[in-house]
Amino acid sequence: MKYQSIIVEDLQVAAEFLTRFCEKSGMIDVLHHFLNAEDAMEFLRDNVVDLIFLDVEMPGASGFELLDQLVYTPQVILTTSKTEYAYDAFQYNVTDYLKKPFTYQRFLESVQKVSKKTEQLNGGSEQDHMFIKADGKLIRLHNDDILFIESMGDYVKFITPVKKYITHNTIKNLETKVNPQVFMKVHRSYIVNFTKINDIQENVLFINGNMIPISKTHKSGVMQKINIL
Amino acid sequence: MYNEDQKIVFRFSPELDNAFLEELYGDDLQQAEMVFESSVQQLRNGQQLTDARFHDGDIPGLKKEIHKMKPVLGYMGMNKIMEEFEAFEQACIQFKSSAEAEDGFYHIKSLTLEAIKRGEKEINRLKQHNTQYL
Repeated sequence: MKYQSIIVEDLQVAAEFLTRFCEKSGMIDVLHHFLNAEDAMEFLRDNVVDLIFLDVEMPGASGFELLDQLVYTPQVILTTSKTEYAYDAFQYNVTDYLKKPFTYQRFLESVQKVSKKTEQLNGGSEQDHMFIKADGKLIRLHNDDILFIESMGDYVKFITPVKKYITHNTIKNLETKVNPQVFMKVHRSYIVNFTKINDIQENVLFINGNMIPISKTHKSGVMQKINIL
Repeated sequence: MYNEDQKIVFRFSPELDNAFLEELYGDDLQQAEMVFESSVQQLRNGQQLTDARFHDGDIPGLKKEIHKMKPVLGYMGMNKIMEEFEAFEQACIQFKSSAEAEDGFYHIKSLTLEAIKRGEKEINRLKQHNTQYL
C-alpha cells in the first residue's frame, strides 16, 4: 500500500527534506505541501488522505488546531523542533513524533509505525477486503469477490460474479488503496484481480468472459507478474 | 562520503557535527549544498526579523522567529548553537521587555552571524567538491 499524504510545514527546508524522504521510501506519495494550517484545512475539507506530516508551531493556526477541525482520523506524524509537545501528541493519539532535524533512518522508523497501525486498523492481517459506498450504504467486498474494477469517469464499477456496484471514485485513487498482492492496474480504465484472469491474448485479458484491454504502458508489468512456465 | 568515480572523500568541517551530517545527507552532497544555501538564506532573513521584533519590543514575535531559526541550524550540523537558541527561546517566555532580553538577544545575534559564516564556508567547500569533476 502506498500512503497518500500531505505535509503541513512552514519551514521550506524541512518540507524539502521530508518530500525527499517520502520519495526515497517509495511508500508515501506527497499530494501537497502547505505552509500553514488554514490552507491544509481547506484541502482536507474536500480530500481524504492517509497520513499528515504536521508541524505544530506555524503562522496562524497551530497543528493541533488543525487536528481539532478534522472530521475523520488520518494518521499523523508530528514534525516539530520542540519536545514539549509530547504530552499533547499522546492526547491526540498521533502515530509518531519527529524532532527536526531528523535522519532518514528515524523517518523510516516512523513509517514502520504507520504501517503497523494500518495493519492493526485493518484487523492485523494483510488487507483482504475493502468497504465501498454504494446503494446508499457501506458494502464490504472481499478481494476474492472482485473480478475487476472499471472506470466510468468520476465513478468506478466493481464487477463481482453476481453483481456490479457503482461508486464515486477514480481508478487513480483506487490504484494506491487496493492490495497490490491481488490487484493490478492494466489500463488507465481498469484494475483487475490477478487471481481471476482466465487467459491473455496479445493486448487483451479475459476474466469470466469479460474482455479487458492491456495498455502498452502496463503490458510489461502484467507479463512480469504472471507465472509463465 | 566520497565521489563515486574518483573516490574523493569529503568531510564536513570539524566544527560541525560530522556524524549527524553524514547520516543526514549520505552521499548526496548536491543535496547538502542546496540545503546549506537555503539554510544560510533563512538565517539571514531570520536575523533581520529577530532584529525587528527585538527593537519593536515584540518578545512573543522574537520567540517565534528564534523557534523557526532553530532547526535550520540543525540541518547544518550546528547542534551546539541550536541548543543555545533553544535556551534563549525558553528564556523568552519569562522576558517582559526588550531590556530584559537584551543580553541574550545580542549573544544570539553574534551566534547567528557566526552560523552564517560557518554555513558560507561550508557552501564554498561543498561547491568546490561538487563541481571539481564536472
